[in-house]
Amino acid sequence: MKVVVDLKLCEGNQRCMEAAPEVFDVREDDKAHLLMERPPESLREKVKLAMRMCPRQAITLED
Amino acid sequence: MEQRQITLENLNIIGPDYYAKNGYPHAEWTYLRAHDPVHWTEFPNTDPFWAITKHADIVQIAKQPKLFSIVKRLLVFVPDQPSEPDPVPPFRHLLNMDPPEHGEYRSIVSRRFTPRAVRELEPEIDRIAREVLDGVTGKTQCDFVTDVSSRVPLAVIAELLGVPRKDWDQLFRWTNETIGGADPEFQDGTSQDETFERARLGLFQYFTDLVNEKTKRPANDITSIVAAASVNGTPMPQFEMLSYFLLLVVAGNETTRNATTGGLLALIENREQWDRLKKNPALIKPAVEEIVRWTTPVIQFARTATEDTEIRGRKIKAGESVCLFYPSANRDEEVFDNPCKFDIGRDPNPHIAFGIGEHFCLGANLARLELEVIFRQLVERMEYAELAGPVERLRSSFVGGIKHMPIKMKLNPARQ
Repeated sequence: MKVVVDLKLCEGNQRCMEAAPEVFDVREDDKAHLLMERPPESLREKVKLAMRMCPRQAITLED
Repeated sequence: MEQRQITLENLNIIGPDYYAKNGYPHAEWTYLRAHDPVHWTEFPNTDPFWAITKHADIVQIAKQPKLFSIVKRLLVFVPDQPSEPDPVPPFRHLLNMDPPEHGEYRSIVSRRFTPRAVRELEPEIDRIAREVLDGVTGKTQCDFVTDVSSRVPLAVIAELLGVPRKDWDQLFRWTNETIGGADPEFQDGTSQDETFERARLGLFQYFTDLVNEKTKRPANDITSIVAAASVNGTPMPQFEMLSYFLLLVVAGNETTRNATTGGLLALIENREQWDRLKKNPALIKPAVEEIVRWTTPVIQFARTATEDTEIRGRKIKAGESVCLFYPSANRDEEVFDNPCKFDIGRDPNPHIAFGIGEHFCLGANLARLELEVIFRQLVERMEYAELAGPVERLRSSFVGGIKHMPIKMKLNPARQ
């Protein structure tokens, strides 16, 4: 699976980082940075939670 | 209260008088979620709309800002007299802009509202809340709204905007008149439109002057940022700039005030939850989320379909509008266990009181922090609180407000 963050939408709300800290890191620039673009299957549920939790709905998943 | 049988033909979910008298129509929304979750609604003096009452449907609509535009109708407004259909609103701000323009305007101040930025405000908010509570310490009775819950958000947004303290009361009156224009208490003998217009012009004139001042002497406040802002390489037009302030002042005040009031009311009515929070102050964060879910101060915003589409099998034609009832979504049985129980430990709590997607509340992190600070201090200092009379509700089907909440209480001085 491939994770994409729409940086135009992302406002650094940090929900993704709480849901899947292995994948997302919100830095000083208030944007979510991907720690891995293609997370292993084992993280799918966490990434999906991050997608749901994102207030701006900035995360998409490409299979 | 007399119980009448709810039917699809007789239910009222948009009349401001209903809200003033009864508060939120949760029984009606529950009925709609079960029987007609995408419900065609006709009501005097307003264009018909689809009432959207399910959590999943609101999320789907909010996630598609191009298919569901906010520009044509930002909320279902119910005037007291018949008025021109679709009047042009006398403001242009984030709540009547679509992408990509919305994003351009929003990004001007959005970094001031991130969790990281907001955390730095905590000592200041803490000080404001302590001063406000000190003001009623020693009293045995107060109006929790005028004495406490309205004061903290007003002070916070005024400080963020760099508005001098001498002008706070005036700012407060304008925000009341903007949201409460349909309520006789704020009308001052004039009509709803006149009340709103008076407040809008007052705010516009005030911020014209403040912008001039901040342009000459920029400070580290939001007014200075907006005053110096460019959009797509050109300075922000004045109408949009003044509208921006109108939005920040109103949105920064009404919502947090009502979450605070409604939160204390919920804790008074659910004494065991108050005791639980007092025993375990570490529950403050989930408690705040539950207060926000429970109160959901913004009742509705609307969207208008830009193409023919479908929601839950209902055909929505291009040009028809949908009204998103957030408090209903936040009691959706398919999303929340026991949705009509106020439970400060609720986890998970995926409420959408702040909306979701493109128009997600810009001030959500600030509102959460304000509520956290206020309730942390209340739990620490309040020996007890109970209602000293009935609450008075705002006559509005847009923001669910409590205008007055007389309480008997005992508040201890702050710990040094």
